[in-house]
Amino acid sequence: MTVVETKNLVKDYALNGLTVHALQGVSLSFEAGEFAAVAGPSGSGKSTFLHLVGCLDAPTSGTITVAGNDVASRTRKELALLRRRSIGFIFQAYNLIPVLSALENVSLPLTLLGADKKEARESGLRALEEVGLGGYGNRRPKEMSGGQQQRVAIARALVKKPALILADEPTANLDSKTGMEILELMLALNKNVGTTFIFSTHDKMVMDYARRLVMLRDGMVAEEMRK
Amino acid sequence: MKDSTVRDIALMALRNLGRHRVKTIITTTAVAISVALYIFIDGWLLGMNLESRRNIVSYETGAAKIQTNAYFAKKDELPMYESFTGAEELSAKLTAAGYDSAPRFVFSGTLYSREGTAPMVFNAVDPVKEAKLLRYVPYIEAGRFPEPGKREIAVGTLSAAKLRIGIPERPEKAEFDSEILGAATNEEEAAFVRSFYTENTDGTLSVKKDGNAADRDRLWKLLAATGRMTVRISTVIDMKDADKPGAIRHVNQLIDATVVGVINSPNPKTNANVAYLPIDALQDESGMMLGGKVTEILIRASDAKDSVLPQGKETPERILTALGSALPTELALRGWKDYTGDYFAASAQDNVTSRIMIIMLFILSFIGIANTMLMAILERTKETGMLRALGMTDSQVLLAYVIEAGCIGAIGSIIGILIGCLINIPMVVYGIDYSAMSKEMSGDYGYRIVAYFRSAWNPLVIILSGVVATILSAASAIPPTLRALKMPVTDSLRFE
Repeated sequence: MTVVETKNLVKDYALNGLTVHALQGVSLSFEAGEFAAVAGPSGSGKSTFLHLVGCLDAPTSGTITVAGNDVASRTRKELALLRRRSIGFIFQAYNLIPVLSALENVSLPLTLLGADKKEARESGLRALEEVGLGGYGNRRPKEMSGGQQQRVAIARALVKKPALILADEPTANLDSKTGMEILELMLALNKNVGTTFIFSTHDKMVMDYARRLVMLRDGMVAEEMRK
Repeated sequence: MKDSTVRDIALMALRNLGRHRVKTIITTTAVAISVALYIFIDGWLLGMNLESRRNIVSYETGAAKIQTNAYFAKKDELPMYESFTGAEELSAKLTAAGYDSAPRFVFSGTLYSREGTAPMVFNAVDPVKEAKLLRYVPYIEAGRFPEPGKREIAVGTLSAAKLRIGIPERPEKAEFDSEILGAATNEEEAAFVRSFYTENTDGTLSVKKDGNAADRDRLWKLLAATGRMTVRISTVIDMKDADKPGAIRHVNQLIDATVVGVINSPNPKTNANVAYLPIDALQDESGMMLGGKVTEILIRASDAKDSVLPQGKETPERILTALGSALPTELALRGWKDYTGDYFAASAQDNVTSRIMIIMLFILSFIGIANTMLMAILERTKETGMLRALGMTDSQVLLAYVIEAGCIGAIGSIIGILIGCLINIPMVVYGIDYSAMSKEMSGDYGYRIVAYFRSAWNPLVIILSGVVATILSAASAIPPTLRALKMPVTDSLRFE
């Protein structure tokens, strides 16, 4: 089943009066259960691609279908609801809410989906168990290491069982050992739960872990490899 | 939006208050000060107005007055020639309907004492009816109220001091020696006079606080024997000339009288340049040539309570109904509010000025909150982007920040209400003594309060000020949040 499909995706930015062509007709499709990385040098358009697929930004032209939903004609609110329901995000800087505990951070997406308190709590605890942070539910982000915070972010992305998890440079802020642990964890979750992961990265280690690698250069697909 | 979602958003907002602790404390304090001051000022204005209104009705006007229409049109000039007759018949009708009434003939003139002169407003009154209707009569601080049929006069305490009439409360040493001690005709009287006063450190003397009424009467009589209480009224009697329609005839008149009492009531108007004398002593050629004429009749319900402002039976409409056809067409009955324009002007001005000041303070506080929220929202731009990435809608993000700002307002309001009420307690119980100002301005400053300006409780305003402050605080988060939401999610996520 196709989870993400883009056709002739174009994204132009205006920067200091100049037009930057971030993506120039990218057509890609990702199937359910894929563990894929979109890689490329800085400015190649990998983050832009991830943002468009994540419905965080609108394309200049082209179409995007996420979990069967054409996102081009959606309103802001509809896109927010689509993100809430179908897409999980993992960011380079973890982006946890500092005033919430690990469990509250993880439960937040379920709360937004309207889950009751007990259900959100139980699912949150389960997700924390899955990422190896069973006893860390009451800790605040500042009381945890970078690796632990990224695990919480993974649990938060995973808890609502989305069709797709987008990870933007997930290991960039971690040392190589912790980065590897995080990648192992995500790979295991991919295998066990079947969640589709798409990374943007320029980290060799991430590329090695990815089962499919899409290389972008100057906003275009330069190379594609499947392992 | 589900309740659990709103609850979690509210929880997050509450926790965020602790993130910017110093800013939260500063803005909460600003809100608290604004609310407390608003409660304090409002309570004070309300207290002054309530007491002033009660004092106007109880000591000055009664619930309503009957005057000729022509008199009312020129009432500030005290046009005695627009007087009327038939007060007895009207009073009888009012009495039958359950109202007290007191006729008056009001005129202006100059009062001469042995030591000075002062322009005065003279109220020629029926002492018995006046004492029944108005409450200033028991406030004779020295002497007594004039008796019917006698050329006796009671004056306000401020004019008494100016004219050196009555018993001096704080005489200079020289004045004491020459005028007060000098009134004693023998050693025993001199000892009595000395015992009546106590010496102050500044060289003045003061009446002893424990002096009893009998001693006061005795000293009054001693001083009266020296001619201190003898006064002369100089006035001009204005009468319509029966032979020449439209013409006013003036008759200069001098009336000798004896001051028998000094009034010091809670209404400064009765204590200023005002004098009261029996109307029946002024009827003939040696008086005011009244011939039964009066300029006004004061009215109050017989069972009126001093603590309650005129209402129901005491409204002009109800009194008019009671009078029926007894009121001639040239006469009109008006409520007490029509005679106290100076008070309402002062009150309205103070009301507007004070409220503008407090509203400015409110605005400053809310600019502070808006600034705090602007900074908080700016600092959390990345976090806002992440919340939106998680699927929070714009309205949910807005709600989170509105709750956060509303909480600052609510906490500030609660503290402000507590402080405001705490300040109000001594203000209600004790008040602030403005007797010096009252004396300085000869009691003519609009409010009808002599000494203590007390506050009153206004529960509705206390609650509303907190509610409004909370709503305004919450609203102050809307502009910066909307601004933040205009930013694309991707830009928010990249924001450093």
